Amino acid sequence: MSDRKKMKVDQTEQMLESFDNKIADPHQLAEYNVIGKRVLRTDGLEKATGSARYTIDIQLPGMLHARLLTSPYPHASIKSMDTSAAERLPGVRCVLRYDDPELQVGVATGGHELNAELPLPSAVHFEGEECGAFVVADTEAIAEDALKLIKVEWDQRPFVLDEVAAIEPGAPISEPRKFPDSNISTIYNEVHGDVEKGFAEADKVVEFKWSFGYNTWVGPERPCGVWRWNGDFAECWVKQQRPHIAKRAISTWFGGIPMSKIDLHCPYQGASFGGWSQMSWNLGGTYLAAVASKRTGRPVKWAFNRREDFYGGNMDSGTFYVKVGFKLDGTITAVSQRGITVNQDLPVFGIVAHLIENTKIPHVAGRTEAARVNKGPTVPTRCEMNINCYTVDLVFNHVADALGMDPVEIALLNDGAEGHDIDWLNGKKAEIGFPVRDSLRECVTAGKAAIGWDEKRHAPGTKKLPNGKMHGLAFTWTHEWDDSAGSSEIAIQFERNDGSVTIMSCRADVGVNAETAYCQIAADELGVPFEWVRFKHQEDTGFFAMTPDTSTNLSINGWAVKHAARILKQRLLEEAVAPRAKTQLAEYPPAFPGLEPDDLDVKDGFIYEKADPSHKMSIADFVGPSGAQGPITGTAGEPFFTSTEEGLAYPLRGTPPLFESGWHLQRGCYLGVRLRFCRQAYFMEVEVDTETGHVDIQKVVTVNDVGKVINWDGCEGQAYGGAIMAIGRGMTEEIVWDPRTGVMLNGNLLNYKIPTMMDYGDIETIMVETQMGYGPYGSIGIGEDVATVLPALIGPAVQNAIGVWIDDFPITPARVLKALGKA
Amino acid sequence: MSSVEQARAVALDVIGLTVNGEPYQLPVEPQWTLQYVLADKLGLTGTKEFCAEGACGACSVILDGRAVLSCMALAIECDGGVIETVEGIARANHPLIDAYVKYSCMQCGFCTPGFIVTAKALLDRNPDPTLDEIKEAMVGNLCRCGTYPAHLRAITEAAKVLRGVVEADSAKTPAPTLVNSAIGARAAGMAAGGTEGGE
Repeated sequence: MSDRKKMKVDQTEQMLESFDNKIADPHQLAEYNVIGKRVLRTDGLEKATGSARYTIDIQLPGMLHARLLTSPYPHASIKSMDTSAAERLPGVRCVLRYDDPELQVGVATGGHELNAELPLPSAVHFEGEECGAFVVADTEAIAEDALKLIKVEWDQRPFVLDEVAAIEPGAPISEPRKFPDSNISTIYNEVHGDVEKGFAEADKVVEFKWSFGYNTWVGPERPCGVWRWNGDFAECWVKQQRPHIAKRAISTWFGGIPMSKIDLHCPYQGASFGGWSQMSWNLGGTYLAAVASKRTGRPVKWAFNRREDFYGGNMDSGTFYVKVGFKLDGTITAVSQRGITVNQDLPVFGIVAHLIENTKIPHVAGRTEAARVNKGPTVPTRCEMNINCYTVDLVFNHVADALGMDPVEIALLNDGAEGHDIDWLNGKKAEIGFPVRDSLRECVTAGKAAIGWDEKRHAPGTKKLPNGKMHGLAFTWTHEWDDSAGSSEIAIQFERNDGSVTIMSCRADVGVNAETAYCQIAADELGVPFEWVRFKHQEDTGFFAMTPDTSTNLSINGWAVKHAARILKQRLLEEAVAPRAKTQLAEYPPAFPGLEPDDLDVKDGFIYEKADPSHKMSIADFVGPSGAQGPITGTAGEPFFTSTEEGLAYPLRGTPPLFESGWHLQRGCYLGVRLRFCRQAYFMEVEVDTETGHVDIQKVVTVNDVGKVINWDGCEGQAYGGAIMAIGRGMTEEIVWDPRTGVMLNGNLLNYKIPTMMDYGDIETIMVETQMGYGPYGSIGIGEDVATVLPALIGPAVQNAIGVWIDDFPITPARVLKALGKA
Repeated sequence: MSSVEQARAVALDVIGLTVNGEPYQLPVEPQWTLQYVLADKLGLTGTKEFCAEGACGACSVILDGRAVLSCMALAIECDGGVIETVEGIARANHPLIDAYVKYSCMQCGFCTPGFIVTAKALLDRNPDPTLDEIKEAMVGNLCRCGTYPAHLRAITEAAKVLRGVVEADSAKTPAPTLVNSAIGARAAGMAAGGTEGGE
């Protein structure tokens, strides 16, 4: 078998090692140069100087601007529409209508998979839904003016906004076309053990109801897209977390566009936290732009306005009913929960999954009833695990309160997995080669010390501070869920001339700084300086990395980068000992004659002989220049060389392109696939003003077992950034509708309050490194964690302060005052 | 030419602006915001629109020495104004730029230029701000990614560089620490990548 074939086998074996990898990373590095060290982020200067370009910034010669008509009613259809005045407005170049013959067939307009949605529907199911008309004009302002000139005769229908009311008999059907018989689109049951048996075994049973208001992502860059036809080549710029899914959808348009004829750009993303990119129809505007671009012969940019971005929301909004049985020592015997969720299209994630995956609780049951109401579409926002995290938080804290016990002790007592205790879980860690570490205990030990848990803890409602406010302290935990399903393709090469390294794979940068982490991995695996490595992620090169959702930045793409770099390094060493280019005139000897690849290594950008490190050659010299890469034949037929290197008898030319690819395919960490070993713990200290109901977050301690830190700034940024987002989600953020008209009332940043620099207290971010993650080097992703777990902790913290439970989120001053009997 | 186009043509007015030291004579429509003129007409896309109603600070620019929200300023009212955008601040090698990179003050980066502009205006008028003064100055700049703690460190350090308390070069090296970030690793008896310390 040739070396080349050997390398191919290695690539497959490497992939197999990590597919369903129920083993620890077998390829740890002996020495970490930049992995786990603090390095400057690769996009820092671009973003700090304002030169980073986002899709909304794209300006093209002759570009037109488009806006969509939206519905003023929550449930209606268009009976007739007069666009003549809009079409006459100077500067309007094209108006697409719902009755346009070209727009009568469903097309793939985004979402998780190819779907078939009408790009310009005439029926709407929430106020603000795009419908009816797409106006293209010289400027966005003219397009906006034109929308106001469109006269529509609407057929209004009854609507329902509340999820509990929606599933009552006789409620108006919210979306009859898709769900003609009922407002429940899906029922999803989770069953583990026998809850009735568990409740019978309990010493005590507690029941409570909680709810979670509709919040949203608030991506700073408005949803938008740009389309240009270059002959029969399609060129587009997308604001999408999932450019590979976008391109797949686009390739089905207009009877099929060959993938090779689509030039897709995925510029920097003004954040969407999952959100918009997960939604079906998110490419609807881009499809319409493509149609309009064809008709006008000009590039077209479409965009939502700020209000329109507010209509979509978090899929975890809903109302929930919990029953918990437990022993007097804190052992939980059973949990059942029924949830009625709002417009949840993806109920497969469950509502009690974390209790099954993360604890020894033997009997757990969940029933999700996905209700459909006349609000906007809901999708995973930061993560789809909010309900699971809220459930863990509220179950453990309610049990601790009922028993007067320390919730930390209850967590440690019930830690485990799938009904088994921590000793069983520790056995599994050892079986698959992980260090046997007690992740939760390490996390709570660090967190308790940081917040002063033992000194400050007190019974609920008992600690009044000198400033008159009530002091509260709370703790929650869960496992590191890191769904990490998906695939990733990475291309990597040494550049000619200088041996710098380019990683290519189209991927949306939403700001989590994963690109820097990939460069760190490549640098250490290849033995080159970090500064040499660039991840070129904005252009469609035919390679696509996994999206920046499901916390997969490291656990999937990190693997693919690692694989690719390992293969490329092996290739470099093999080429270094192999004869170089052969021409009719000469064959050039190896750069390192008489040696085997294993005799060599790479460090600081030099290939060197392990037995004699002074025998070395820079990668730049080895790869040679671009352009003339071989001997040039003179007029007399003799070869001459453009240069010679000191100490070598032949010119440094004739190396093949040093380009390799790596890929990774992973089923994820879902229940039944892989056990999770890393834990996370959170502590919060608050002060509650019982006169105003205002809650001051004094301190938050986040403790994340990340397995292994690759990039410190990235890890910490996700932790403190997530904490700040969580404070908003838990205390102020909720979209409000007028119950009479179904109209959204606060779709703007003045009335939907996200946290400012003055709305959080001290945030201490602690990373624990047990190396028990399934990612490269034992790492695990934490991008979704903090913002998802932490909002629920505000409830127990306030309960500890005022002695009254508030289980309706967000915990606003009004709700605090109501709980205190003051409102 | 239609009546509306005539109306638009009639409404065009030429204003003079000095932007990042460069003089411009610009025909503007009366309803155009300063943000629109800077980003769309001059291509200075670092001046970002986020909320479009004066609630977020992403469009901040310095006008005649004062940080203003360019989405709330009509360009026609800025005639004769001297404007500094993030691009100008970067071109002048203001130490805020290096400090922002060093402390990883950005995630998605969309709001970052607005923060830098507001911070520059703060340091112009107060070369040694306290943390509370920084928070007070920056409270109108919203970051959905939650990067706020990093800004406090970066602005503090940039102020020190401007005052000559620390060398600009040392400010460029990667930050060795953040608050107690290595506690867990240390508690677990492992060598952490970062070292403890902080400010």
